[in-house]
Amino acid sequence: MKIVVTVKLVPDTNAEKRIDPGTQRLIRTGVETVLNPYDEYALEAALALKEKLADGSTVTVLAMAPEATKETLRKALAMGADDAVFLTDAALAGTDTLGTADVLAHALKNIGFDLVICGGLSDDGSTGGVPGALAEFLAVPGITNARSLEIIDGRVHAQRETDNGYQVVSAALPVMLSVTMAVGEPRYASLKGIMGAKKKPIAPMALANIGAPGSAGAAGAKISLLSTAPPPVRGKAKVVEATDGLSGAQAVLDFLKERKLV
Amino acid sequence: MQNVLVYVEHKKGQTRKVTFELATQARELADKLGGKAHAIVLGAGAKALAEQLASYPLDAVHYSEDGDVDAYLADPTIAYVQAAVAAIGPSLVLVPNTMQGRDIGSRLAARLGAGYAADVTGFAVDGGALVVTMPKMGGATISQAKFNAADHGIAAVRPNAFGAAKGGSGATVLELSKVSGAYRITIENEVEEASGELGLEEAATVVAGGRGLGGPEAFTGILKDLADAFGGAVGASRAAADAGWVPYSLQIGQTGKTVSPNLYIGVAISGAIQHKVGMRSSGTIVAINKDGQAPIAEFCDLLVVGDAFAIVPELTKLVRAAKA
Ligand SMILES: Cc1cc2nc3c(=O)[nH]c(=O)nc-3n(C[C@H](O)[C@H](O)[C@H](O)COP(=O)(O)OP(=O)(O)OC[C@H]3O[C@@H](n4cnc5c(N)ncnc54)[C@H](O)[C@@H]3O)c2cc1C
Ligand SMILES: Nc1ncnc2c1ncn2[C@@H]1O[C@H](COP(=O)(O)O)[C@@H](O)[C@H]1O
Repeated sequence: MKIVVTVKLVPDTNAEKRIDPGTQRLIRTGVETVLNPYDEYALEAALALKEKLADGSTVTVLAMAPEATKETLRKALAMGADDAVFLTDAALAGTDTLGTADVLAHALKNIGFDLVICGGLSDDGSTGGVPGALAEFLAVPGITNARSLEIIDGRVHAQRETDNGYQVVSAALPVMLSVTMAVGEPRYASLKGIMGAKKKPIAPMALANIGAPGSAGAAGAKISLLSTAPPPVRGKAKVVEATDGLSGAQAVLDFLKERKLV
Repeated sequence: MQNVLVYVEHKKGQTRKVTFELATQARELADKLGGKAHAIVLGAGAKALAEQLASYPLDAVHYSEDGDVDAYLADPTIAYVQAAVAAIGPSLVLVPNTMQGRDIGSRLAARLGAGYAADVTGFAVDGGALVVTMPKMGGATISQAKFNAADHGIAAVRPNAFGAAKGGSGATVLELSKVSGAYRITIENEVEEASGELGLEEAATVVAGGRGLGGPEAFTGILKDLADAFGGAVGASRAAADAGWVPYSLQIGQTGKTVSPNLYIGVAISGAIQHKVGMRSSGTIVAINKDGQAPIAEFCDLLVVGDAFAIVPELTKLVRAAKA
């Protein structure tokens, strides 16, 4: 079975994100590019499935990102992905959520797949819209927010998280599935994995290779960014040392009354 | 874009506050765009809910109790919404920015070839074009974006970002005709884990607990009591979810839910950046922590330094008394 994991390459999620007041853009200097944390869970789910199937199944990672971030994909290879496809093209700048899903769908059709696994949410865009739209563009069943999965007789069986519990669902392959972090902690790359990753292929892909979908880039976008600004600032916190439970509780209540919250 | 259609998320006819926020917002937008405000309710319990929604300022509420909607994942729902969009005409579709809403909204966008704006917290109409406000980068930036096409657009709207008000002259309630399709994802079973009368993302007050609470008991005990006193919901840090004290559906943060209640109370939560991005846009943030230097001190409005086990039960009593 051919499993493809879509991974987004994002600014370091542990770094505090700041906007340059002049350019209104995110300050990227000194901020490393990493695998979108959610996508490490997607990769973990893929690798665990491959190990369980033990039938020669393969795991490919696919990222659409600017050229300069390519080497970030080595981490996915070090974790155990067999190979990688790096989709990059100057004409991709300004692509919106729907365009991203459409372009990824074109790439996935080109690569071939039985199962596509996405993360649930990207750390920078955070639209959570790519997986659902991707399933539509691929014209395959889309199972979102899976917390566990199994393949039995060519069908995916998954538990998918809902707001207050889970659903058990199933669909015939090929399938697009997105995961939640409950699928299991991503593994660390072993030293052997890190060494081996240097030799694993990262295949380049450009828009011309996948039929140059019209949804790519700012020109194909259905939504255009007008402006970016920092959020409103919160004033400095009031700090109260509680001498006992009641005094602490009273301090909270007084504060909430002041703000008309009780 | 003229008419506005609200997708109503519900379970067996039980819905949440965000539905009424969307209905109210739909009216405002429809008036600005010079169109009508519609809503669509699907699945078991839809009819009763449609009738309830008629007291909000909508022009029409469309419903279907077709069993396919509850038997198959997403596909029948999309088919109905797509049919409604086709019947109602060029429109803006509002979905709640919840797990289900995002799913329906993004798929519908792909089918319609429409723009998809996620986590919308504001709308403006500028010379006929619809402009949306969306926090990005975990709330570190606030973006404004515009729908380019004049026909269809989908906006996933953040719960608690807008007010809800009844009114209007009573919407017409209409039953949709049957839509059939080849649906592919079978729902075999559904299990409830959290007592989810109120969704975490929609709650006006969230009381969230962290590792400092030491075990699951505090979450079903003192924290739940405090949340109940406010009529709110319990949330958690990832440390608490990872420890197995609460289901992951209660986790707030980068890899959990984004909440923006009017009041967030963080109990024994340090305020790591990955937690912060899931709650920083809350109205008022109160922290109860025994460490005055915890990172949450940097982005809360009130920090009470003390023992959660002593403070929380007293606070519950005071809130109950104040509300009585
Ligand atoms: C990729 C990635 C994604 C992540 N995603 C998330 C996410 O979505 N959400 C999330 O929350 N975290 C997330 N984390 C984890 C995050 O980094 C923190 O580890 C986590 O938020 C810490 O949880 P905590 O505040 O409950 O625990 P701690 O950091 O251990 O804090 C416990 C706090 O409790 C206080 N305390 C202890 N006892 C008491 C008491 N009796 N009374 C009062 N206060 C007390 C302590 O002073 C301390 O401040 C993520 C991490 C990574 C690497
Ligand atoms: N540029 C991209 N390249 C590869 N995968 C992506 C990209 N953007 C989004 N994805 C996938 O879609 C998921 C959800 O992202 P988003 O919809 O942006 O929140 C991510 O977790 C990835 O699996």
